[in-house]
Formats: sequence, structure tokens, C-alpha cells
Amino acid sequence: MPVQAMAADDVTSRAMKLYEKHHYEDAARLLRPELEKMAVSHKPAASLALGMIYLGSAAVYRDLHQTALLIELDYLMQLSRQKTGSASRAVDFYLGQALLETGRINEGVSYLQRFADRSAAKSPFKAFADIELGIAYSRQKQQEKAEQAWSRLDLSKPEMKAALAGAYSLTGVQQQKSVAMAEAAWHEAIAQRHTPDTRMLRNMLRAYSHGGAPEKALELLHANELKEASYVENFGASKSINFYDASLLQDMAVTNLRAAVQYLEKAGRDEKLGPSATYYLVDAYLQQGNTESALRAAASTLAQTKIPQQYLDSARIYQAAAQYKAGQRKEAGLTWQAMAEKSAQDPVVLAALVRACTQAGADCAKLEKLALAAVEQGEGKKFFPLHAALGKYYLQQKKYSKAESYMEAGRDKAYKNKIGVNDPVLLIGLAEAYYRNKKFSENLEIYFEIGKQYPVVRQIQEAMQGIYSMEQQSAGDVKIF
Amino acid sequence: MKQLSVILVLALGLFASVSGVSQAAEIRKAARPQGGALNYGEYGRPATLDPITSNEMISMRISELLFNGLVGISERQDVVPELAQSWNVSKDGRVYTFSLRKGVTWHQRPGEALVPFTANDVIFTYNIMMHPKTITPLKVRFEFIEKAEKLDDHTVRFTLKRPVLNALAKFSFKIIPKHGPKNPLYLTREDSFVQHPIGTGPYMLDNITADREIVLVANDKYFKGRPNIDQFVTKPFADQNILTQALTFNAIDMIVLVNPRSIAEIQGDKRFILQPYNALSYSFFGYNLRNPLLEDKRVRQAFGYALNRQEMLSSFFNNQGTIISGPFAPGSWAYNLDVQPLAYDPRKAIALLNEAGFKQGADGIMQKNGKKMELTLMVPIEKESEAIKRVVLAFQNYLKNVGVTVKVEFKEWQSWKEDVFAEHRFDIVFASWVFDDSADISSLFHSAEIGPWKNNFGSYSNPEVDSLIVESKLTLDHEKRRTINRKLHAMLANEAPYTFLWTLTHYSAYHKKVQHVAIHPYKFFSFADEWYIPVTAQKK
Repeated sequence: MPVQAMAADDVTSRAMKLYEKHHYEDAARLLRPELEKMAVSHKPAASLALGMIYLGSAAVYRDLHQTALLIELDYLMQLSRQKTGSASRAVDFYLGQALLETGRINEGVSYLQRFADRSAAKSPFKAFADIELGIAYSRQKQQEKAEQAWSRLDLSKPEMKAALAGAYSLTGVQQQKSVAMAEAAWHEAIAQRHTPDTRMLRNMLRAYSHGGAPEKALELLHANELKEASYVENFGASKSINFYDASLLQDMAVTNLRAAVQYLEKAGRDEKLGPSATYYLVDAYLQQGNTESALRAAASTLAQTKIPQQYLDSARIYQAAAQYKAGQRKEAGLTWQAMAEKSAQDPVVLAALVRACTQAGADCAKLEKLALAAVEQGEGKKFFPLHAALGKYYLQQKKYSKAESYMEAGRDKAYKNKIGVNDPVLLIGLAEAYYRNKKFSENLEIYFEIGKQYPVVRQIQEAMQGIYSMEQQSAGDVKIF
Repeated sequence: MKQLSVILVLALGLFASVSGVSQAAEIRKAARPQGGALNYGEYGRPATLDPITSNEMISMRISELLFNGLVGISERQDVVPELAQSWNVSKDGRVYTFSLRKGVTWHQRPGEALVPFTANDVIFTYNIMMHPKTITPLKVRFEFIEKAEKLDDHTVRFTLKRPVLNALAKFSFKIIPKHGPKNPLYLTREDSFVQHPIGTGPYMLDNITADREIVLVANDKYFKGRPNIDQFVTKPFADQNILTQALTFNAIDMIVLVNPRSIAEIQGDKRFILQPYNALSYSFFGYNLRNPLLEDKRVRQAFGYALNRQEMLSSFFNNQGTIISGPFAPGSWAYNLDVQPLAYDPRKAIALLNEAGFKQGADGIMQKNGKKMELTLMVPIEKESEAIKRVVLAFQNYLKNVGVTVKVEFKEWQSWKEDVFAEHRFDIVFASWVFDDSADISSLFHSAEIGPWKNNFGSYSNPEVDSLIVESKLTLDHEKRRTINRKLHAMLANEAPYTFLWTLTHYSAYHKKVQHVAIHPYKFFSFADEWYIPVTAQKK
């Protein structure tokens, strides 16, 4: 939707300008604190803007989380295989945790168990390992075992209380308690003059976000950069390893998505801006996996008479994606196919179709053919989104060389990795393609730029640097330019 | 010898083929047409064409087409056989034995018989490279080798002083022929070999034209199979802007490094492909610490604060790059993400100069003990592009604002190198370093690298930095090496032997007719023997 039209307040306008530059963090930090102070008539526009901003942010963190899991797991695996130098003890813990994140629960448990067995009975890390083991058991439906792992914790320590709150919230066990527990942990930390570290903040975020306290989660996010390591393992003066929790990015994605839905629903109740908000809600609900609401919102959008054609097309594409997720795969496929044939010369619609099909994990071969024919014919910036969508599709297909070349073609080279021009979601996908193709320095350059707005990507940068350092094969040459 | 393993890197197919190239590769090659010429534009002329005496990128790119190493590095960062077809490593990681490829011949000089490549050439290359009188920046890279021995005509053994990280990749140094240089003991820029080299590579030097164009022709006897494109022609241009015009008017087919200001223009032209390749590089102002005016680190720090680097990057390079904070490029594994670039703060610059004992005189120029802060900035003439001119003029102005007078001198490339690297006749230089993936800064800042034709031209010396560099070289622990490099980054950012500026976006541009183009991020032409031009698009 044309954003300026919605921007009824100066702050909202400024936030939307930042939104257009993909500076979602700055935009949210600017606008959210102003919302309550605004005149009632300005609030719907601001809510809509915040909904869009958090939706954009959620997509960035979702993709960052996926790539973080890939790169950090590879890094931890390589680190655990290193045979030279002092061996890391913490690697078992972080590797176990990352394996749990990727669904490899049995492997994760074995690393965590090994770590716990080697740790002193009263060490805090042993307790953190117990918490992660509890989460793993809970996922394996062994609730009793989970409770047993958690029963040994010393909850007088605020960081432990926050960790247990996070675990409760994540697993759905005693979820209603988790927010209160996290708050109690926070107050105790203040009373004990204990500065919460990144791990504690992650756990509190998890408790708030999954426990239904999105405002508290947002406050926490806005007050902290969260780029610090979860743990630094030191080996004398000349060696240290920084460890991070990749799950932090998932918690950030969840927080942002919930905030997006909350603000969009608020704006959706406004008579004038309701249709616009409902349009964005289709995507938000889809990202949440809330198919029914997505279908309702799509139907509502499509029933609008004054909505521009491009938004109708887009809503129809989302609607088909929701149908696909709801099991109506044939209908969805037919809708996409019909739209693609009708819009064979329209790179914008084709790009949206390829994106939706890719996200749904559907068979996109027919769309791919039409999209390839269109990019072959077309030229100019208008075709960038279609190249980008094809690149993402090939990334999902594990055709990494093609993924790289299409995403490359979808990037505005005059601004290479600048997120003000190039969508960070495209850049994150391209960075993954570079990683898969072992172009590590290209990957790092992308994260260097993204990190200026999203400092939490430090964890990906550090893991990537670690892998690059281990895998690079070069002679040690340097030349004057 | 106790062997850890016999490392036969490629599949068995490698050995099934007589030429040493797999059948699959042969089939792939056969499917690609041969013929055509590729004219590529460079931003200057190479001083030498051999892989030993050169220390700049233009020469290196050419020598990549002319020569081979014992091993090469694939696109996927694997060490692959080149002149060595296999190797083994002793259990203690100190002895590397290479079985050399048979049937490889040197490029043939007129009137000469074909000369086969043998172990003698490998030993010769190592010895000449390490000879004290050979002018080369490479010695420091190979100080870890204790001895090199010929076991037979096709087997050589290198014994290392100690195991080192990535040792195998270091054997990618280019081999030159024993019958190549006139002087069999050491190599200098006076030897005719450095201008008319012969190698084993996919291309042979044909001639150097009156316009200083370098014409290379396909080596029919190349051991990996004849390269597809008949001819590579290097065309030198003094200015990057003209390079873009030459490309768009079809005078050349490829630019190795596109002027950042031309990226948008080339992107909009459907005839060309812009391909990024991430050479780890950065630009800097480097200081000659032999000059007492520049001895105090507060003076050098002041220069850093005096410059508005972001404004320079935006105005002169369309913001096509990244401001850096230290001696590594941001795309490197060694970059310390905690060190932030210095902010533009001229007041702080003046305060630092005052702290260092400089006071502004009546003429506004800083002085100390009656000596005015007047310095000379030397810039190579090949860099006399519009953007570089603006950078140095801006530098001059920024420093003038804090009471420092800078005189800019443009020098012809070879003469600039002699002044900077050999004679050390300069106060400040503007230059850029390019690194391979190892991001090895040891030759730039270790005090043992001070001396004629060595890379520590500014004579920077700090025992703590020396000791960290040595520790980083000795360790076999990747994480320890990373930690040490992070420390080095922080220390050198603070010590400011250079004012670290930015790393620029590297794009190559080429005509779409050139196909199957893969670019090595550092050496550029490593995979050029696989490139081809469809018959319909070929021109001579």
C-alpha cells in the first residue's frame, strides 16, 4: 500500500521512510514510544506502520535464524573436530543446543549429556545443560524426565529462574507462569546487582514472547542490541572463543511477528485503514502458520472494491498459499498457474508467485519456466524482484550456483550490500548462497553491512569468520594494488 | 617414512587419463568451442611479468596465465594437483613429498627444443626465490621451509622447520624454468626473463606491442588441455574512466576492476555482466616513521581524526565500499568487529597534535621545536584517476584544516615503487594492499620486514606486534590465530602506522559473449583456461 498516504503523523512519516530503507529496528525504536502520546486520530496509521515494520523485521530475523543455524552448526561441528590446541569444553553445550534447534534431538541430547557429565555438579553451565536437556525431553514427550532435569535448579539465582521461565514458555509447560517468573528474575537481578547477560536476556525474551507478553518482549528488544556473546571461553591470554545462542534470532522473529499481528489487528479495526491492515495481516498470519485467519483476511481483502490491482493480485497469491497450507494444493496450484499465464510479462506478479510457491514448498516447476522466460526477455530494475525470487527458489532447491547468479542479478549492484536499497531478505539469501559456494568473504561483507542495522548478526559473522579461518586455503600472499 | 596418509586428492579418474586430466573434464572441454580473443583492460602496466620479482596485482594476474604451482586452489577452496600430481605428508607434518606430473613441457622459445618440466625446476625456483640477492617479497612466506631436495627427476621433498597451518596451500607458488633466467643464482629486475618469461601455464607470452599491450597465446601443449580462447590481450589504461568507455565501445571485452562510479552505467547495459569478486583489499595512507615528525603515534592518530572518510567514500566512490578500522578487510576472517573506525573529529586531531608538542604558528601551520609540519604525499601515476586525485586533494585539505601542510607528488609507477620500497624517500603514501584469503599482515608490520624491497616500507616496529605475529605464525590452532589477529587489529588501529581508509567494491565487467567465467577472488585468472567464446561471437 502507498505508505505516505497512511502516514498521518510526522513521526509516522519518518518511521515509514526508515521502513522503506529496511531500517526496521530504527523505525520501530522511533515510532513505538510515540504511539501512546499521539492524538487518537493518528493512532491507526501509526499502528499500521508499526505492524508493517514488525512484519518486515520478523522476515529478516526468520531468515537470519535459518542461516544462523546452518552456519553456526557447521562452525561448532568443525570446532568440535579440531585436534590442535586446547580443546573447548563449551563446544559440546553449544553444539548440543544447536542440534536441538535443528530438530536433531537425539544427537543434541548426547552432546548436552556429555557436557553435563563433565561439568561440576554445582556449576551454572551444568544447570543450563539441564535446562536444555529438559527442553529436549519435553519435545520427545518425556515430560516427567524434563521436570526431573529442571527440578535440580537453584532458582535463587535470577539467571536460572529466567532460564527456566524461558524453557516453560518455549515448551508450553506452565506457560502461564513464565512471564511472572521472568519478571521476578529481572527484579532479583536488579536487587542482587547482577547485570543480565545475553543468555539471561534471551531467556527473558523467550518467556515474554512465547508467554503472551509481546510488549515486554519488545521493550527488552528495544533496550538491548543483543550482539554480545552468550559465553566467552578463555584459554590463557592468546585464545578465546565466543559462543552464541542461534535461538535468540528465532525468539526475535517470533517477538516481531507477534507484534506485527498485534499492531495490524489494531489498525484493522479502523474503518479507513482497516483494508490496508487486513492486506498485511494475510502475510503475517501465513508466517505464523495461522492458515484460517490468513484465508479470512485474504477473502476480506479480495472483497474490497477500491483496492489497486497489484494488491488484489498479491492477496490472491497469498490466498492460494494459505489454501496450499490448508491442504487444498490442487486449487492453489491452479490459481498460481492461471495467474502466471495471465501475467507472463509482468515481473512483479511473477516474482510474487515464485516467492509464494517457494515459501509454501510446492512444486514450482511450471512457474519457474514462465519466470525464466520472462527474465530472459526483460531487463532493468523492474526485473530485480523476479531474479531475486528465482534465486530464493533455487536456494531452496539446493541449486546453489544458480541461486547465487539469480540473486546476484536481483541485487542493485550500484549499492551492492546496502540495505537501504537492497532488501535484507534478498541479501541474507544471497549470503547463504555464497556460503554454500564457499565464497566466504562475500558472505562476510553482506553481514558487515546488515550488522550496522541488525547488530545481533554478530553471531553469524563470528561463526562465519571461524569457518573461513579453518577452511581457507591460501599461500599468505599480499600485493600492492 | 611414516606417512600420515597418501593424499590423492582427485578421484581415480585422474590417473586413468594419460594427460592427467579426467575424462569428464575432457568431455566438458570438447563441448566448448576454441578460438577467439579476449582483450581485457588493466588500470596500469605491469613492471615485470614473472611471479617472483613482482609485488603488484597486474603482474600477478598475467603470471597466473603463464605459470603453474605444484598445487592449485579450486573454486571450492580445495587444494588440487597442478604440477604435482600427488603428494604425501609425514605424520609429524614436517615433510612434504611431491610426485611431479610427467609429460609437462615449458613454453617453447624460438629456436629452442621443447624442454620438459622436472624436479630440477622446482628446486631451482625455491633456491632462486630464497637467494639473498633476489628481489622478491616472497621470502617471508617461505621461511618455514628448512630444505628442498630432489629425490629423482619427478619427485621433490620439502622439509619444514615446523608444521604450519595450511602448509600445502603454500606450495601453490609458481614454478619457473631452470633454463629461464640468465643468471642461474638470483633474479633481479635486470634479468630479461622478468620481461619475457616462459612458464608451463595455459597461455604463452607472444609479444609486447609498441603500445605496451601484452599478447598471450594459447599453449597447445598445456597439460590440462589447450585453453579454449586463442588469445588474451592485456591493454593498459591510465584512467579507470577510460576503461569503462573502452568496454562500452567494444574496444575491450573485459575490465578486471570496474571504477566504482561506473557500476550503475554498466549495470544498465544488457551486453555486459558485472561479476563481484571479493579481493580482500583496502586503501590507506601509510606513514614513513623514519621521519621524526611522524614518530609519535598521536600525530598519526590525529591525521585519522582529521579525515572525513565517509564523505570521501561517498563523494569520490559513490559510497561503493566500506570504511574500515584496522589492518584487515571486513570480508576477512581476521577482522575485529569490536574495533570501530575513527570518527571525523578535527578538534580532537588538533588536541592530539598539541599533546604531541605541536603548536600552530602565525601562518597556521603546526610546528615543534621550530620544525614545521610539512610533509610530502607520494601517489603512483597509475592511480591518477579522477577519484584518486580527489582523494589526495581532500587529504591535503583536511590536514590543512588542522595545520598540516601536505605536498602531493605524482610519480610514475616504477619510480614510485623505487622511492617507497627501495629508497624510502617519502613521508606519506596513498596505496592499497590486496590479500589472499590468509589475510597475512606479517610482511607489512613485522620489524624484520623493514628493508629495501620489503613490505614494511614505513619502518613500523613494535616488539609486542612482532611477538604476536610470530605467535600467530607458529600456532596450529585456528581459534588461537583468530584471537591473535583480533588483538593485532586493535593494536594497529591504535598505533596507526597507516590511516586505514576503506575497502572498495570489486566488480569485474565482461561482455556476455565470454562464457563459463569463474573468477578467482585474488588471482583472477586461475580458471581462465575453461572460459570460452561461442564461435559466432569470436573475433580476432
